[in-house]
Amino acid sequence: MLLPRFSYHQPASVAEALEVLGQHGDQAAIIAGGTDLLVNMKHGKLAPRHLVGLEGIDGLEEIGADNGSLVVGPRLTASALAASGELSGAAQALALGAASLGSPQVRNRATVGGNVCTARPAADMCVPLLVLGAKALLAGPDGPRELPLDEFFLGPGQTAKKPGELLTGLSLPRPAEGSGAGYEKLGLRKALEIALVNVAAAIWLEPDGKTIKQAKVALGAVAPVPMLSPGAEAALTGQTAGEEAFAQAAEAAATDAKPISDHRGSAQYRREVVQVLTRRALGQAWQAALGQ
Amino acid sequence: MGGDYTVVGSRARRLDGPEKVTGKAVYLDDMQFKGMLHGAILQSPHAHARIKSIDTSAAEALPGVKAVLTAGNVPDTKYGVSPARYDENILAIDRVRYVGDEVAAVAAVDLETAHQALELIKVEYEPLPFVLDIDQATAEGAPQLHQEYLGNLTAEVHQEFGEVARGFAESDLIRTDTFVNKRQDGGFIEPPRSVAVHDLSGNLTLYSSTQVPHYVQRTIAMLTGLSVGKVRVVKPYVGGGFGPKASASPCDILSSLLSMKTGRPVKIAMSREQVFLHCRARHQFKHVMKTGYTKDGIIKALEHTCYLEGGAYSSFGIATVYYAGSLLAAPYRLPHMKYDGYRVYTNKPACGAQRGHGGVAARACFEQQMDLVAEELGMDPIELRLKNIMETGDVSCNDLSMSSLGMKECLEAVQGGSDWNAKKGKLPPGKGIGMAAGFFVSGAGYPIYRSETFHCTVTIKVQEDGGTVLVKTAAAEIGQGSDTTMAMIAAEAIGIPLEAVRLVSGDTDYGIDLGAYSSRTTLMTGHATREAGEQVKEMILTALAGELGVERERLDIKDGVVEIKGEAVDFGPLRTKYLKEHRGWGGMPSGDKLTFTEAARMAYLKLGTIVGTGKYKPPVLGGKFKGAAVGTSPAYGCSAQVAEVTVDLETGQVTVDNITDAHDCGQAINLTSVEAQMEGSVSMGLGEAMFEEVKFDDQGRVLNPSLGEYHIPTVLDMPRMRCIVVESGEPNGPFGAKEVGEGAIMPTIPAILNAVHDATGVTITELPITPERVLMALKQKKRDE
Ligand SMILES: Cc1cc2nc3c(=O)[nH]c(=O)nc-3n(C[C@H](O)[C@H](O)[C@H](O)COP(=O)(O)OP(=O)(O)OC[C@H]3O[C@@H](n4cnc5c(N)ncnc54)[C@H](O)[C@@H]3O)c2cc1C
Repeated sequence: MLLPRFSYHQPASVAEALEVLGQHGDQAAIIAGGTDLLVNMKHGKLAPRHLVGLEGIDGLEEIGADNGSLVVGPRLTASALAASGELSGAAQALALGAASLGSPQVRNRATVGGNVCTARPAADMCVPLLVLGAKALLAGPDGPRELPLDEFFLGPGQTAKKPGELLTGLSLPRPAEGSGAGYEKLGLRKALEIALVNVAAAIWLEPDGKTIKQAKVALGAVAPVPMLSPGAEAALTGQTAGEEAFAQAAEAAATDAKPISDHRGSAQYRREVVQVLTRRALGQAWQAALGQ
Repeated sequence: MGGDYTVVGSRARRLDGPEKVTGKAVYLDDMQFKGMLHGAILQSPHAHARIKSIDTSAAEALPGVKAVLTAGNVPDTKYGVSPARYDENILAIDRVRYVGDEVAAVAAVDLETAHQALELIKVEYEPLPFVLDIDQATAEGAPQLHQEYLGNLTAEVHQEFGEVARGFAESDLIRTDTFVNKRQDGGFIEPPRSVAVHDLSGNLTLYSSTQVPHYVQRTIAMLTGLSVGKVRVVKPYVGGGFGPKASASPCDILSSLLSMKTGRPVKIAMSREQVFLHCRARHQFKHVMKTGYTKDGIIKALEHTCYLEGGAYSSFGIATVYYAGSLLAAPYRLPHMKYDGYRVYTNKPACGAQRGHGGVAARACFEQQMDLVAEELGMDPIELRLKNIMETGDVSCNDLSMSSLGMKECLEAVQGGSDWNAKKGKLPPGKGIGMAAGFFVSGAGYPIYRSETFHCTVTIKVQEDGGTVLVKTAAAEIGQGSDTTMAMIAAEAIGIPLEAVRLVSGDTDYGIDLGAYSSRTTLMTGHATREAGEQVKEMILTALAGELGVERERLDIKDGVVEIKGEAVDFGPLRTKYLKEHRGWGGMPSGDKLTFTEAARMAYLKLGTIVGTGKYKPPVLGGKFKGAAVGTSPAYGCSAQVAEVTVDLETGQVTVDNITDAHDCGQAINLTSVEAQMEGSVSMGLGEAMFEEVKFDDQGRVLNPSLGEYHIPTVLDMPRMRCIVVESGEPNGPFGAKEVGEGAIMPTIPAILNAVHDATGVTITELPITPERVLMALKQKKRDE
């Protein structure tokens, strides 16, 4: 199908962007890489009359520091994040997820802001962001606000972002020593694949290098939204890192998962795979935390 | 075995390479015509419905709309692929039979307007009960798709060769196995599209992304009522076909009719979604094979039943259902074979021909079963195959004659090439190695319509200046490399370097060529090209012999220069004449040999324009029984493959690590192209084995009509490949050449299946080999133990 007609706006500041968005209400849509938006427009699912590009606004395409946190700019592409040197320790989860998205061509366009706002249950950058405790930084007509990501995702394609609001960044705690991340994705083929199940894990070790200070596991494609596994977190906190703890956490993650059956796979299979991938992602995160 | 060739057998750079890699090659979408209109097609949203009314008035009133077609204003001539089953209408008459059936078409000044016009066409449907699978379609009281073909059967085949009962009586081990593949999509890069230009003299030129300009020409002539001579079909560069483009498409037909109605060029292009709705790709096959072996591993008999889920129209289905049986009679000696095949109509897009036509799932079932037999007999799978393979000179129970067959060489090549003996049975759990073999036709013995027509004619004109020759062929270069192959054959036949050959192709004005299907072009068009080249050479050398006053037999042309046997001949006067014609020019012939250029120029001055013509049709081939035409071919290529896989025993995910592939193509014309066909076949076979499945919801709508959700392999999914080219020298082929385009896909699926079995002990009998299917089989096996 043909792309419907629209006019294009290129505001030079967040304030200007909010103004344009406010002017056109639900007739406006923000466009970043366009790899979700344009596909939906071509399929006739959306027909915004006004597209608002953010490339004229400074500072949305970098990783900045803000007392104790990293702020990831929404316009950073998957390619840039996959290669970023600033995402060390647990934050590496985001780089790993970004590296597994789509194909090189798609990664060069696809942005993290777009991935988060599209809010697909299997989104390759959303699942890692959850284990990092990321917060969505939003700017809107009523001023800026922050929302933890697990409250931001409401359903497939649905978020707590209000119409007229703009995602200006994702804030993460600064990478800590003794932390590491793992990411596992199961699909049919090795690229251009939306996960059948994907799992991100992050571990923060105590200075003894053995005890788990904190760990988080997030699951993709097994619920209406990318989800954290509280069971896995509980099973790991304070435990000695290793196969036994990981196996228990994996079991808990499989219990937390709420998969459905569809033409891509059965709920039963997805649940089994959650367990395997969780165990593997945790093993990977542990090795990374140990610096191996 | 290769002969002493100069051009044939080399790794020539493809003629189309530079244009394609620089993006300069012209494909259909690049073509623009003055006043061109854009067409669009309205398709049925129902799997089965009666059309109560169609109101096109609002669409016709929309500014910019130039024509609207429905069944009411187009001919009601039925058409299809095989004249024995013309069951399609240009646009649906009273009834739609699948989601995607064509109902109306419009032409407008731009595509946007055309799409708007489609939305304004009001069709009132009365939904009818429908059937989506074989069981529903063949159930008693099932809704019927075609009144002419009751029981929802397009065709059924019942054949017995030899005495199957006797074969089973002589068997020690009898196994019955089943196998199911999934409906596949062609997955070509360029969706079908066409531009029709009906000019003021009443001629119609149709530019089409097709594999078969000739059949398109005939179909368009039949449907428009124009004489064949006034319909010209031109194929620009084409982005792949693989079978689904081997017949006239709705784009071809409707753009032609719209151009005739509006007097303006009309372009119609399918979207990717429409490719899935149109389909004409691989059927879903359900095979049941009962096979008898002696305890020494000799095959005695095969009793085989196959059901094909075919969709709403026949397309190639009659040929497909025959191929699904006949292509099991080789490459193993099989004395007794019984086959019952049924091609079933369903309310889904029609399936047709795709690479390895009809034989791919059958081959997978047979080769998988063979490995299970080997296991039961405690025999190495390669050893079992070596005991049964046919050799050059063998004829199958259904009269397929192996005029050359390097099956043994292929098996031994992959055995050595994969280090089979060191690996088979010795790999750790989760690692597996498997192999399979197969064979395929080098072109069909008969055209799709009954006729004694030549299958191809080729003209070679020596340019009057003498330096270059121009090959004209209607053959269809669709990416497989036939242009380069024909230029190489012409160069070899005449004795000139490849650079001295120009070639034009893919235009029905250049002659007859049945097109790119059934792996026919190298053998058939190759023969015609060679004949035309030899004629040209003969004319030039005869003229030269007269001019020089020597016997014709003493003259030959090699690598662009004239070789004269025996004592030296003075060609000084001839050279002087040539140099005089080119006074002031650079790069003139010198040295002690007469060049092809001088000889050809001299021949032109004597005889006028030198033109050679070649033609080919297969000799009368074996088989007098019904259906003998499907499977008989002038030559058969064959191949063997070894696959090595890693299976993740916890998730069931299979990775194909290595494929060692040997193919007997008789004689490689362009070695690089042969290997490319082998690699392409493996990629396609791997996709069918591992990922591909066109899925439908319960209303008959395609669930995954995009290359995002219908998974074909990416470059990262390709295994490391080792290609070994076997050359058995085919007596019926030009310079000994036969097929590689389709036969090379035959072993891929069963080799992977057998490797998965080796790695896990489980037998997967339904494609694709998804992680879930493998994991569930592993769990079942655990429960059974
Ligand atoms: C071929 C292909 C393969 C793909 N493979 C994958 C894959 O493997 N994994 C995966 O997760 N995804 C995949 N995707 C989906 C897509 O690429 C990702 O979701 C990508 O991250 C979207 O980013 P974008 O910049 O293209 O977003 P856009 O399409 O530009 O925008 C997406 C949505 O986000 C909104 N938006 C964007 N930026 C902002 C902002 N700053 N503030 C507020 N709203 C905003 C837009 O309005 C729109 O609604 C694939 C897509 C394609 C076409």
